[in-house]
Amino acid sequence: MKPEIPKVLEILAGTLLFDVAPHVSPSYRQSSVGVTALLLGIVREEWDRAAARRIEENSALRALFRDAVRAVSDTDLRRRLEAAAASSEASLLVSELERANDALRALLIELHAHVEQQTSPAAREVENAIWLELSASTERRRLSLAPF
Amino acid sequence: MHELAPRIAAYLRGRLPQAAEIEVFDVERIHGGASRETYRLRLRYREDSQPIERRLILRRDPPGSLIETDRAIEFAAYRAFRDTTVPVPEALWLEDDPSHLDYPFFVMEELSGFDASPSNILLPPYAAHHEKLAQQKWSILGAIALADPEKLGLVGIMKPIAPADAWRRELDHWTGVIDEDELAPQPIIRAAIRYLRRNPPPAPARLHVVHGDYRTGNFLYDKEGCVRGILDWEMAHLGDPLEDLAWSLNRVWCWARDGRVGGLTSKEHAIRIWEASSGLRADPEALRWWELFSSVKGQAIWISSGCEYQNGKNKDPVLALSGWWLMNAQDRAALETLGKLG
Repeated sequence: MKPEIPKVLEILAGTLLFDVAPHVSPSYRQSSVGVTALLLGIVREEWDRAAARRIEENSALRALFRDAVRAVSDTDLRRRLEAAAASSEASLLVSELERANDALRALLIELHAHVEQQTSPAAREVENAIWLELSASTERRRLSLAPF
Repeated sequence: MHELAPRIAAYLRGRLPQAAEIEVFDVERIHGGASRETYRLRLRYREDSQPIERRLILRRDPPGSLIETDRAIEFAAYRAFRDTTVPVPEALWLEDDPSHLDYPFFVMEELSGFDASPSNILLPPYAAHHEKLAQQKWSILGAIALADPEKLGLVGIMKPIAPADAWRRELDHWTGVIDEDELAPQPIIRAAIRYLRRNPPPAPARLHVVHGDYRTGNFLYDKEGCVRGILDWEMAHLGDPLEDLAWSLNRVWCWARDGRVGGLTSKEHAIRIWEASSGLRADPEALRWWELFSSVKGQAIWISSGCEYQNGKNKDPVLALSGWWLMNAQDRAALETLGKLG
C-alpha cells in the first residue's frame, strides 16, 4: 500500500496531536485525542515487526520445547511439548501467529512450573533457558516510548 | 451548560438546606484517577445573605473502570487524613443512591491551581525542585505509614487482617484479577506469582494504612516544588507499609526513563527519606518481595484496563494505552527484580 502505512500513521498522529487536539475542549476530550495519537504511534512501531517478532518467538519456543522434553517427567506434558515442538505456522496472518503464540506461551507456563519442582541438573538447564527466552521476549516487544 | 449541572445543583439543594440561590456551573470532565469519572465544577450560593463560591471535584462511578474499588473507602481516607501532616482535599458528600446522577459518587473540595502531571513535573519550572519534591513525596508516604489506622477510624471501613496474612490477601486479590481478565498468557507474571508464594515476606509489626496507588501522577504540586495534595485513595487498604514504598519505586513510574524513581530521585535516596519519616526500616529482602508484588499488581491493572477496552465496557483510549505502553515495561520490571533481565 502506498503511501506506506507507517508514514500514514505518523502523519495522522502528528495531525491529531498538533492540529486537532489544541482546538478540542473540554480538556478531557483534548487529552483523549492526544492519547489516540500516542496509540497510532504505537501501531506504527508495531505494524512493521508484528509478524516477524511472532514468527521468531514461536520458533524459539518450539526449539526450547524440543530441548526441554528430556527434563520432563510428566508423560502428558512431555507428549504435548513434543507435539508443540513439531508444529509449524498454519498461516502467516498476524492473528493466526498470535493464536499460535498464545498456545505456545500457555504451554511455556506449564513447563516452567513443572521444572521449578524438579531438582535435576537438566531441569535447571531448562529453567535457565526459559528465563533467557522470557528476557528475549521483552526485547521483542519493547516500545521506543516505554518508560522501561 | 453541562447536562450534569442542573442535576448536581438539585442534589446539593438537599445537602445544603440553609443555602439559597444554588448554582452549579463550569462543569467539566477531567482525567483523574483510574476507576471513576472525575468532574471539576463550581458551586455558588448565598448563606445568611453572604455569597459563597466553591471549587469542587465530583467523582462518579463509571459503567466500566480500570479498577473496581469501594468509593466509601476512598471517601473515608480523605476524611481521615484531613488536618494531619498528609495534605488532602476536604471530602464533603458521599452518595450511594444512583438516582441523583445515574451512578454513585462523592464530592470533595478542589485544590486548584496545581499540577499533577507526571510529564510536566519533568519540565521547568518543576524540574528545578526535584529534590525538594522527592523529600516531601517520600516523607508524606512515611507519615501515612506512621499513622495509626485505629485512631484514624479506618479499621472496619478498611477490612482488617492479621499482619502475617497481609501479603497473601493482596497477592490473592491481584492474581484473581489476572485470572479473570487476562487476554493472553503471562509467563513472566505467572512465574513471579509462583516465586512470591514460595518466598513470603516477613510480617509487619502491625497493620498500617496503605494508600495503594502512591506515585508521581497522584499528587498535586506547585511551581515552588511543594506537594499540595495526595489524591486517588481508591485502592487504600490496611496492610504492610512496604507495599506503598515498593509501588512508589516501581520501574514503570520512571517517567524520565533514566532510573530516577517517580522521575525525581535515586531509589536509595527515596528509601532513606521514607525510613527517616516513618521510623521504619525497609528490610531489603522484604522490600524486594513487595517490589516484585508491585509488578504483579501493575500487570493486573494493565491487563484489566486492556480487557475493559477490548470488551467495549469503557472506550476511554487511556485504557488501551495502559495495556500497550506499560505491560511489557512491567514484565521487564519483574524480570529485573528477579535478577533475570538480560
